[in-house]
Formats: sequence, C-alpha cells, structure tokens
Amino acid sequence: MPSVSSSIRVKLLFFGRVRELTGLSEEEVEVRAGTTLADLLERYMRRYPQLAGLRASLVVSRNQEFAEWDTRIADGDEIAFLPPVSGG
Amino acid sequence: MPSTPDNDLYELVRTAIDSAALVEHVRAEQDGAIVTFDGFVRNESHGRATKHLEYEAYEPMALAKMREIGAQLHEDFAIHRLAMVHRLGRLEIGETSVFIAVSAPHRGAAFDACRFAIDTLKRTVPIWKKEYFQDGAVWAEGEVPPAAPEAKSAS
Repeated sequence: MPSVSSSIRVKLLFFGRVRELTGLSEEEVEVRAGTTLADLLERYMRRYPQLAGLRASLVVSRNQEFAEWDTRIADGDEIAFLPPVSGG
Repeated sequence: MPSTPDNDLYELVRTAIDSAALVEHVRAEQDGAIVTFDGFVRNESHGRATKHLEYEAYEPMALAKMREIGAQLHEDFAIHRLAMVHRLGRLEIGETSVFIAVSAPHRGAAFDACRFAIDTLKRTVPIWKKEYFQDGAVWAEGEVPPAAPEAKSAS
C-alpha cells in the first residue's frame, strides 16, 4: 500500500468554445494521484460555471487519443476537453 | 497490387490548398480512377449570410486522426493512394477548406473510400469552425465524436 499521497502534473489544452469560455488555451495543473478525467472536468466546471451548457456534448482526449471519462490521469498526460467537432 | 500507405499525404495548412497538386500526388499508372472531394466555404449558414470562417485544430491529434482514417481506408477499400488536406485559419467564401483525393484501380472503391473519408473526418477529427456573420459569430454546431471505442485504460 502506498503511504505517500503523491501529486502529478498534467497539461490541459483548450479549443474552440471551451477555449473562448475559459479564456485559456493551455494550462499545467497538479492533481492528486488517482484523479480521473471526470474529476478533472468537475474541477473546471466549478471554476468555469459558464461551461455548464457544453457539458453533455464534451468528449475528452488523453495523449491525443479519445478517452473514457473514468480513465485515471497519469503524470505528464496531455488532456483536452473537446467540444463537438466541425471540420470539413 | 498491395496499397502503399507510405505515399499517402496528410496535411494541415494555412494557405490555399493546391488541389491539382494533390490529384497529381495520388495518380499512378496502376490506377484507373481518382475521386476527389472539394469542401469549400458556402456564402450562407442556416439562412444567414456568412462573411468568412475561421478554423482551428488540435493539430497533432487531428493529423493522427486523419492518418487513422487513411489506414482504415486501405483496410476497407481497394484503393491505391490518398491525399487529405485541411486548411486552418481564416477562409473567405468559395475557398477550399478540405480536399481529399483517392486513387484506385477501379472507380467503385475510389468513390466509396472518398465518401467514407470525408464523413469520418467530419465526425472524428478535432477541428473547429467559427462562422462570422454581419452581426456576430458562432461556433458551428458540430458533431460529438464517438466515445473512445477502444480507449486504453490508464494502468
């Protein structure tokens, strides 16, 4: 059993509507080991309530691959909350 | 003849797309058909006159997703070569935002693959479009990419 509660650092990227609503394009954050992508979204939802309307349409990427919300974050991960895509 | 994915071309660019060069890129003597898709900026959106568009992308992921589409095409269709280019930044009415060219020995595979490529790009590649009108701007409605089909678990 690990006795030290360690924290890990991850990089978040912001695009489209999420970038505009938060005013952020990228940010490094520290999270507790064991944090999931859903936990991290929660944190941003509290900090930026203006994201609430987007919530149901967001997907998440981890290290440039679509990921499940219950995925645990690892040190050095690159994460992005992605609004609906509209290329083409 | 086996396909040669090595010669496929995937790009995100910030200047005008040279579609003729892309068609030439996929053309080879072993082929008998090239099908292209030219997506360009329409002058209206839901009845509102569009002034211009702006595209942005999560660039490394977008390129990775474009390459995945290409790999899928080679698996599912008897095609030879593929070129897929998306433009980013500000685009004016009539300018090409996306161009896809697919070559194949026979037309059926080229048509099917090209259609699959653009449909899949619009659903899965992290690119976003903002539409500018006389009286404001909105992010295009967009499509929610399918949730990670084979998401790798963290541990």
